[in-house]
Amino acid sequence: MLIYEVKNMGETVINTKSLLKKYGGRAAVDHLNLKIDKGEIYGFLGPNGAGKTTTIRMLLGLITPTSGSIEVFGQDLRKNKLQILRRVGSLVESPSYYGHLTATENLEAIRRIIDAPKSRIAEVLKVVSLTGEEKRPVKGFSLGMKQRLGIAAALLGEPELLILDEPTNGLDPSGIQEIRSLIKRLPEEQGITVLVSSHLLSEIEQMAGTVGIIRQGQMVYQDTIANLQLQASGEMRLAISEPEAAMFLAKRRGYEGTLQEGRLILSRMNDARVALLVKELVENGHAVYRVEERRQSLEDFFLQVVEGGAS
Amino acid sequence: MMLRALSADWLKIRGKGLWFLVFLGPLGIVAMQGLNFGLRFDYLTKEYSDDLWGGLLDNIANYVPVALYLGGTLLCSMIANVEHQTSAWKQLLALPVSRTAVFMAKLLLCLLLVAVSCLLLSAGSVILGLILGFKMDLIPWGDILRIGFMSYLATLPVLILQLWLSLSFRNQTLPVSIGLTLSMGSLFATFLTEFMPLTWPYLAWNAPNPIWFSGAGLLLGMLLIVPSAVHFARKDVA
Ligand SMILES: Nc1ncnc2c1ncn2[C@@H]1O[C@H](COP(=O)(O)OP(=O)(O)OP(=O)(O)O)[C@@H](O)[C@H]1O
Ligand SMILES: [Mg+2]
Repeated sequence: MLIYEVKNMGETVINTKSLLKKYGGRAAVDHLNLKIDKGEIYGFLGPNGAGKTTTIRMLLGLITPTSGSIEVFGQDLRKNKLQILRRVGSLVESPSYYGHLTATENLEAIRRIIDAPKSRIAEVLKVVSLTGEEKRPVKGFSLGMKQRLGIAAALLGEPELLILDEPTNGLDPSGIQEIRSLIKRLPEEQGITVLVSSHLLSEIEQMAGTVGIIRQGQMVYQDTIANLQLQASGEMRLAISEPEAAMFLAKRRGYEGTLQEGRLILSRMNDARVALLVKELVENGHAVYRVEERRQSLEDFFLQVVEGGAS
Repeated sequence: MMLRALSADWLKIRGKGLWFLVFLGPLGIVAMQGLNFGLRFDYLTKEYSDDLWGGLLDNIANYVPVALYLGGTLLCSMIANVEHQTSAWKQLLALPVSRTAVFMAKLLLCLLLVAVSCLLLSAGSVILGLILGFKMDLIPWGDILRIGFMSYLATLPVLILQLWLSLSFRNQTLPVSIGLTLSMGSLFATFLTEFMPLTWPYLAWNAPNPIWFSGAGLLLGMLLIVPSAVHFARKDVA
C-alpha cells in the first residue's frame, strides 16, 4: 500500500482514526485515517462508490460510525457536535433545497437557524453569482444554479471549515472554473480549510494542495499535489545516432530503459541524471537530436492507483 | 434553539397547502352540519328543543375524531415531505442545531396547526348556531371551546406516532396508509374497548367523565415523544 506521511505543518483541523462504517457487513469506509491541516485545500478523490460521501456524512455527524474516532478542530465530534458544526459549512452530494421557496427564502430558512446577520444572504448570493435570480422559486433553477445555491448555503455561517462533496457536479465549464477559483481564494483570503471531494483528479488538481485517494473505503494514496506530479512524471525519450551503442553505454552507467523504434526510453530521470547522460553520450561521439519527456498523465496515474496497481 | 428551528419551519411550509388543510377540516364539518340542519331543520329543532346548542354540538362532535386523525396524518406527512422531497435533511441536520430541537420544532408546528383548526371549529360552530337562529345568550361557551380541544388532546398519541412515522420514512405511502386505517378505525370507536387510545377522542366528548380520556391522551402523547425524539436524534441521515 502506498501511504505517504503528510508533513504536519500546523494545526490539524480534521483527524479521523481508524474510521469504519459498515452497511450489512460490508465496509463502506474501512479504517480510514484522514488528517487535514488548517488552511489546506484537501482533494478527496475516489471512483464511484469508494466511500467519499459516507466519510463526509460521518464528518458532519449525519451518520454514526461503526467504530473509530473523529476529531474536528481538536474536539471529539461525538461530544461537541454542535460547537463543531457551528464552524463548518457543508454541501453533501445532490443539492438540498426547498423548491417552492426562492433563493433568498431558502437561505433565510437556514439563516434563522444559525442566526447569521441578514445582510449575509445578499453577500453569499453575490459570491456564487446568483444575484438577480434570488426572487425566483428554486424549483425553476438549473442543476448548476441549485448547486451554487448549495455552496451559498454552506458559506452563510462564515465557516472555518468547508466540506464540499462534488461541488462542481452539474456545472458548466465556466461554472466549474468559477467555483474552482472561489475555493482557491478561500484559504488565501480567510484562512478557511477546505475538504473537497471529486471522482476526477483533473478537477481538483488545480486547486488542491494535498490529495487523498480512496478506494473501496480504504485510503490508498495520500500526498501533496507536488509529490503526486513527481510520481506521475514519466520517462525520457532520446532520439540519437547509433542508438544500440548508446543504449549499451547508458546501461553500463546504471540507467534503466529500453530501445523502441530507434529511440532510448529511459525511466526514473531527474534533471541531473538527464544532464549527465547527455554529456557522456556527446563525449562518446553520439549526436543527440532530441530529448523529450513523455509524461504519464496524472489521470493515468490516478487510474493506476484506483484500479489497484498500488495495493 | 427550538424556536429558531420553528421559525425556519414556519417559512418552509409557505404555499405547501398546509394552511388550506387547516381551514378545510373545521369548515368542512361545519358546512356538513349546516346542510344537515338546513335540510331537516323542523325535525332536528323539535328533537333537540330543550337544548338546541347541545344538539348541534353533539352532531358536530361525531365527526371531530375522524377529522382530527385524518387531518393530523396529512399534516404530519406534509411537514415531513418538505424535507424529504429534495433531500434537505442532510443540509438541515448538518447545521448547528440539535436533532431534538428539530424534532420538537416539527412537533410544535404540527400541534399549533391542529390547534388553529380546533379554534376555527369552535368559531364555526358558534356562527352556524347563530345562522340557524339559536339564541345568543344560551351559547354554552365552555362546550364550544371543548368541542375541538378535548378530542384534540385525546388524539395526541396517534398524532405523535404519525409524525414519527412520517419523519422516519422517506416514502410516505406507509405512514399515510397507517394514518388512514386508524382514522377509519376511529369511526367504530363505540364498538371498541376504552383501553384502546383510538377510542379516546370519541370518549373525550361522549363519556361521563370526558376529562379522563383527554388526560390519558395527553399523558400517553408526552410519553411517546421520548422514544420518537430519541430515535430521530440517533438515526442515520441519508
Ligand atoms: N445507506 C446505505 N446503505 C447501504 N449501503 C450504502 C449506504 N450508503 C452507502 N452505501 C455503500 O457504501 C459505498 C460507498 O458509498 P459512497 O456514497 O460513500 O460512495 P462515493 O465515494 O460518495 O461515490 P460517488 O462518487 O458515486 O458519490 C457504496 O458501495 C454504497 O453502495
Ligand atoms: Mg458521493
